[in-house]
Amino acid sequence: MELVAFLECLTSASCIISQTAGGLKIGMLLFLVASGLTLVFGVLGVINFAHGALYMLGAYFSWQVMNTTGHFGLSVLLGAIGVSIVGLMFERGLLNRVYNAELLIQILLCYSIVLILDDLVMIIWGDEFLSSIGIPEIFQVPPLFVLDAIIPPFHLAIIGLSLLLAIGLWLLMTKTRFGHLVRAAAVNPNMLEALGINTTVIRASVFVLGSFLAGLGGALASSIGSVVSGMGNSILVESFIVTVIGGMGSIGGAFLASIIIGMARSFGAIAMPLFTDGIMFLIMVLVLILRPHGLMGDKK
Amino acid sequence: MISFLKKDSFSRDACLALLSWVFLIVVFFIIPDPGVHDIIQKVFILGLFALSLNILIGYLGLIAFGHAAFFAAGAYTLGLFLQSDFIKIYNFGSFSIPVAILLSILVSGVLATFIGAICIRLKDIYFSFLTLAFQMVIYSIILALVDITGGDQGLMGGFPKPPFLGIDLSKPFDFYAFTIFISILVILVLRQLIESPFGYGLRMIRDNAERPAALGFNNQNHKLIAFIIAGSIAGLAGSLQALLDVGAYPEWAFWAKSAEPLFMILLGGMNTFLGPLMGALIFEILNDFVTANTKYYGLVLGLVILSFVLGLKQGLLDWMVIKFKESRNKNAQNK
Amino acid sequence: MIKRNKHTRRTVIKNAALGIGALSFSAGFPSILKADDNIKIGVPTILSGRVAQLGISVTNAIKMAVNKFNEEGGLDGRKIELIIRDSRAKPDEAARVCRDFINSDNVDVIVNAEASGASFAVQEVIRESGTLCLHTVSETTSLTADPSIRAWNAFRFSRQGIHDAVGSAKYAAKIIEKKGIKKWMSINPDYAYGRDSDDTFFWALEKFAPGFELIGKGWPKIFQPDYTEVITKIAREKPDAIYSSLWGGDLVSFIDQASLYGIFKNTEFFAINLADYTTMNAIRNLPKGLHSATRYVAAWPDTEENRAYDKSYTDLYGDHPTNWSWEASIAIDYLINALKETGGTDNKKLAEALKGKTIPSFMGVGEGNTVTIRDRDQTITNYSIGWGTTIPKEPFIQDVQAANWDTIENLEEEWLTNKGWI
Repeated sequence: MELVAFLECLTSASCIISQTAGGLKIGMLLFLVASGLTLVFGVLGVINFAHGALYMLGAYFSWQVMNTTGHFGLSVLLGAIGVSIVGLMFERGLLNRVYNAELLIQILLCYSIVLILDDLVMIIWGDEFLSSIGIPEIFQVPPLFVLDAIIPPFHLAIIGLSLLLAIGLWLLMTKTRFGHLVRAAAVNPNMLEALGINTTVIRASVFVLGSFLAGLGGALASSIGSVVSGMGNSILVESFIVTVIGGMGSIGGAFLASIIIGMARSFGAIAMPLFTDGIMFLIMVLVLILRPHGLMGDKK
Repeated sequence: MISFLKKDSFSRDACLALLSWVFLIVVFFIIPDPGVHDIIQKVFILGLFALSLNILIGYLGLIAFGHAAFFAAGAYTLGLFLQSDFIKIYNFGSFSIPVAILLSILVSGVLATFIGAICIRLKDIYFSFLTLAFQMVIYSIILALVDITGGDQGLMGGFPKPPFLGIDLSKPFDFYAFTIFISILVILVLRQLIESPFGYGLRMIRDNAERPAALGFNNQNHKLIAFIIAGSIAGLAGSLQALLDVGAYPEWAFWAKSAEPLFMILLGGMNTFLGPLMGALIFEILNDFVTANTKYYGLVLGLVILSFVLGLKQGLLDWMVIKFKESRNKNAQNK
Repeated sequence: MIKRNKHTRRTVIKNAALGIGALSFSAGFPSILKADDNIKIGVPTILSGRVAQLGISVTNAIKMAVNKFNEEGGLDGRKIELIIRDSRAKPDEAARVCRDFINSDNVDVIVNAEASGASFAVQEVIRESGTLCLHTVSETTSLTADPSIRAWNAFRFSRQGIHDAVGSAKYAAKIIEKKGIKKWMSINPDYAYGRDSDDTFFWALEKFAPGFELIGKGWPKIFQPDYTEVITKIAREKPDAIYSSLWGGDLVSFIDQASLYGIFKNTEFFAINLADYTTMNAIRNLPKGLHSATRYVAAWPDTEENRAYDKSYTDLYGDHPTNWSWEASIAIDYLINALKETGGTDNKKLAEALKGKTIPSFMGVGEGNTVTIRDRDQTITNYSIGWGTTIPKEPFIQDVQAANWDTIENLEEEWLTNKGWI
């Protein structure tokens, strides 16, 4: 516990700004991935253990496109779209067979996909970790200085993009017919069927959307980090934490929880550098004990 | 044969248990390959681990995803105790191993009491997540307490294994016979428990939580006791594993370790008492074969699990029992 | 099943599986040859998952040396047979694989290529069995330095944390003097290796350049994907220099991400594990002027032998050797030497032949370019430790300065005495 350093930080504007900006960036990247997980759970009722593996695929796909075309935007976009297609195949080919099965069967089906994909990417792309795809040229400029705090423009772009996506997601879920149907499907799929609405299509499209978000998260992560088999595991566990804290199935909750986790990581690195992971799990334990349905989840 | 097994009399079970033990002792001598012995004893250790988890999954319908916490607790308790100075000060001498094993069971039981009391209040995926979170807190603690646990490197430097009652665990045969004996003994006791009114109480809670409560059953107490038993047995399995490897490692408290007994339960079957043990056997043989032949262990294991989930849709032993019953019914009808 | 042939179990299981057909494929790390008087070596290592690169570069190096030995006629016709197995970086698997080597495969020697945690598990197995074990890879000092962990039949052929730390501190002290560095930060992975590295480096730096100021430490988790919180901490504290023992993909991600903050413009960065080909190749824009130890580069030691080693490895595998490769190569060189000297595989005699032995090597900086297995703790010394600065292209590193082994051994002794290990 480094209380002095922590208090010092809280009294300095530059520290607060830089840690907040850093925390937001961590949180927003996490939100991209976790929102997909919570969305899928809300509608399909399945905890997708393979979500982290989809994230990893997003990174590998965008790496491949980058090495073929050299275009950043295209890499990220095609990476995410590629994962959506894999997601569609996964949902149609495998997952829909276990919607009515026991929880254990669902978990193990997803987990088997993790095991398979982790090895498959090594067979396709080799055993070595791959370099990052790098950041686009317009962001390869000196960082900004705000009140003595350093903020890389690229981080601002990531935060901005994620915020746009969060707003888009919110609009999609609340203002469109699709969103209404999705939310109705989460509550009472039988009623929708009775009304002649094809819930199979809704489920598939929600899963595709969830996969797209995971793939996008992975593709963006590949711009500033090495790409490696198994990279989805830690993000999966963090996404679980976010999903649980925010309330399972709640996108607003996931947004809030992502920011909390981002800040906990960012400021926790100053206060308790050796126990930051422990802090996150403790928060998760506390939320589950005191408020099992999460900060913004429905009490079911 | 099945009808003979189905009879829930203790003496029959005990006879079968003794026979199995003697049979495995004979196996030790007619197959002199130590690799086979290694697999058999590992199957029993992991089998105990999986059987204990199946009390929660198969009989209570609670998917605990943090069971490795108790496995690790048992392993670390045994290792730390045998490395400590207690043994010299209080002169446990030759009894240090039995004392250490009992202590491991006790410590993981106490841990399970705490964690269980909190977790059983939750249902479904929330229960799973809370057990997962507790396990990861314990994992973080093991990593953080470097001075005691050795952190990520695990307990180093080994520990003594003094002979007791003429059993010297550093000899392969003694270890083999001892491990299997203890395991079979625990399996025997567990079997009695599952077939007792307590065990049927668990099944009732699983199938319909309201009915037993209406009958004046204390559901929560039942669940907690089951959780403690499961945790203690997992602790025993952990302590045997620690004895085998002469150490304890933080990987044993990581969530991936909790997935292993889930695989075994899936492979062997959750509805037949010995299903998880069968699962452990499949898991170990698969492990031995795959690692000797390919480095794509995950790919093979993933495909096997996938084929069980989508193809067989149940564990192998469950499937065999059902097939057996079907054919018997057919025979009966034909007559 | 009742056969004395030790391969019975595997053959039975394999045939059964072939019968099923589902599991018939084999990515194959074949046992090179099968004949009864072969000298069998068991190699437990990591071939899958995140650090598969470790096992691959180690086994490549081992195969290269063993093939050469076999082609040259072996030991009076006896050839070396390799049995390589994957532990998936799990200590209990490493222990099981080792027991299997010893009990079922009857190996003569174990060449251990596991990372630290699993190496300690291997150590316990071979302590019980008394099998000769050559550790490569694990750099944790205590494996051979701590008398309670050491074993008569275990030898270490890899770098060691304390050696590197002293070499690093000596080099850093020179840069401190040249550039007037005062304020230090350290960024090390939060596990035993990282903590050891942090401890020993600053302990040694205190000896060579007392009076520096350590203003903060960052402890990212191993395999952490995002280092933002650590980097913002650095950006704010503005240290003059950073010491880091991050490695592999983690180091790559850290450098990529820290570059966004312009960290390397005003701060001297000392990364002990940077100068390994796989790492430097993976950094998209390797900044110029970072300081690194020479893990393995063809340019250092600057000798014909070292370049020849790099070339023969690269010709064979299409990729440069890694730090782990040279460690394994030297272990096999030593083993072959001892086999020839004793004329057999008697473990006691082999151990005697290894103890205190000095042989010429491409990584050797002892007299006449030699390395030595020190008698006292059965660990390798006089291997090349150098520090230099990075450039974005081959040979990746320049202005290399070699560490002095007298200095290293003097301080090492002091450190071990403080620990109560000698």
